[in-house]
Amino acid sequence: MKASLPRRVIAATFARSFLIQGSWNYHSMLGTGFAYAMLPALRRLSNGDADVYDAAVRRHVDHFNAHPYLSNLALGAAVRLEADGADPETIKRFKTAVRGPLGGLGDSLVWATWLPMLSMMAMTLWWLGLPGWLAVGFFVIAYNLGHVGLRVWAFRIGLREGRGVAKALAQADLAKLAGRLASISALVLGVLGGAMLTGPRGLMGAGPAWAAVACIAFVIGDKVGHRAWRPAAIATIAAITLVLGWGVVR
Amino acid sequence: MIELAKIALLGGGLAVDGTTVGQFMLSRPIVAGPLCGLLVGDPASGLIIGVLLEIYLLVSFPSGGAQFPEGATATVVAVAAATASEAAGALPIAVAVGLVWGHVGGVSITEMRKINGRFAPEPFQANAGASRVVSAHWGGIALDFVRGSVVTGVGVVVGRAVVSRAAAAWPLMNDESLGLLIVGAAVSAGILLHDLGGFRKRRLLFGIGLALGVLGGSLI
Repeated sequence: MKASLPRRVIAATFARSFLIQGSWNYHSMLGTGFAYAMLPALRRLSNGDADVYDAAVRRHVDHFNAHPYLSNLALGAAVRLEADGADPETIKRFKTAVRGPLGGLGDSLVWATWLPMLSMMAMTLWWLGLPGWLAVGFFVIAYNLGHVGLRVWAFRIGLREGRGVAKALAQADLAKLAGRLASISALVLGVLGGAMLTGPRGLMGAGPAWAAVACIAFVIGDKVGHRAWRPAAIATIAAITLVLGWGVVR
Repeated sequence: MIELAKIALLGGGLAVDGTTVGQFMLSRPIVAGPLCGLLVGDPASGLIIGVLLEIYLLVSFPSGGAQFPEGATATVVAVAAATASEAAGALPIAVAVGLVWGHVGGVSITEMRKINGRFAPEPFQANAGASRVVSAHWGGIALDFVRGSVVTGVGVVVGRAVVSRAAAAWPLMNDESLGLLIVGAAVSAGILLHDLGGFRKRRLLFGIGLALGVLGGSLI
């Protein structure tokens, strides 16, 4: 970096990344949050010149969106580019170029695999009879080891590589990692299903008919996909209302 | 009244974790349920409701601009509502209230984001400097906390009124009630398999897992 930034400024920028979605909106999406996280670094780099600081802040309030954890990669790289004195157009082009890949990769890696995989593991532990606090504690600790680790990794890579983060991202091959996690998730989903059927708190306690209906519901979910979610929730609420109505009439 | 205020504040705090601050996933039903259960003096029910809603919301993620049911407020409302009656019907009715309230929370998030958009600074605006960024940003976080607290507080009042009036009429036993709720949740589990590539692609791993789960469940 041409201009060096003290560790406390880097740390403050990283800490603010945890708030990056604080003002999420349909207009600039993460834009305001990104600018907010950049403020400590921009203030330092402007060396007390209010006009320089103001212009730098304006460069970053524009539209930006990415997965909140992986946005640290863009954040670190933007700090690096600002410190290197890159021209505003380069910074803008860089942010536009990375937001799509960082969003898609983050969604597939974190929301679609890491989160449900650990959630299912915790539920399986509980369904198999482990104390609830152990299952919940496992989920919170394991999830956040990956979460905070990903944030730290992304921020450091961004700071180190600047505009060259694409190469580092390709080497890390997060898409392949997401694929592996998806395979493990399928295995864990099977274990959870088995535990729900036969575990101490399982469906067999309610009778095999309930287990059979649950299996049919599962197959419908697999075949139909997300379009089945809302009808299933509505059907559940309707079924509860009907059973309640039956109870009242009886 | 003080208990209601505490529950509303918990809902606000967990709602903030959902998207605006940190996303440490304390807002997931599996965590929010027992936390609210501890607050209302029934962590066991909190965990059961949390697990059930967690399965329902396994495929609901806070990604991008999508509208999604809000798990944190839904779970806190359901757990607090379940304590309004000791009848067997309290659990399923509270979960139904939670499912409805999850959508109310989702709609309120969408509206909050529209409000945030009105205060978001634009690069060409005269007052788009650092102080505007800070106030817009912290304003968004504060608004989310207030929104989560209000949604939770109103939900608890409504939920407790419904559960206290209706739970005694519930005709099913505990196991059957759980069966009914798991049938609905099984659709979400199926959707997750669909998202992971579907049964055809994942049948071997899913099958091995299922066998292990059945074996483990039978042995314990």
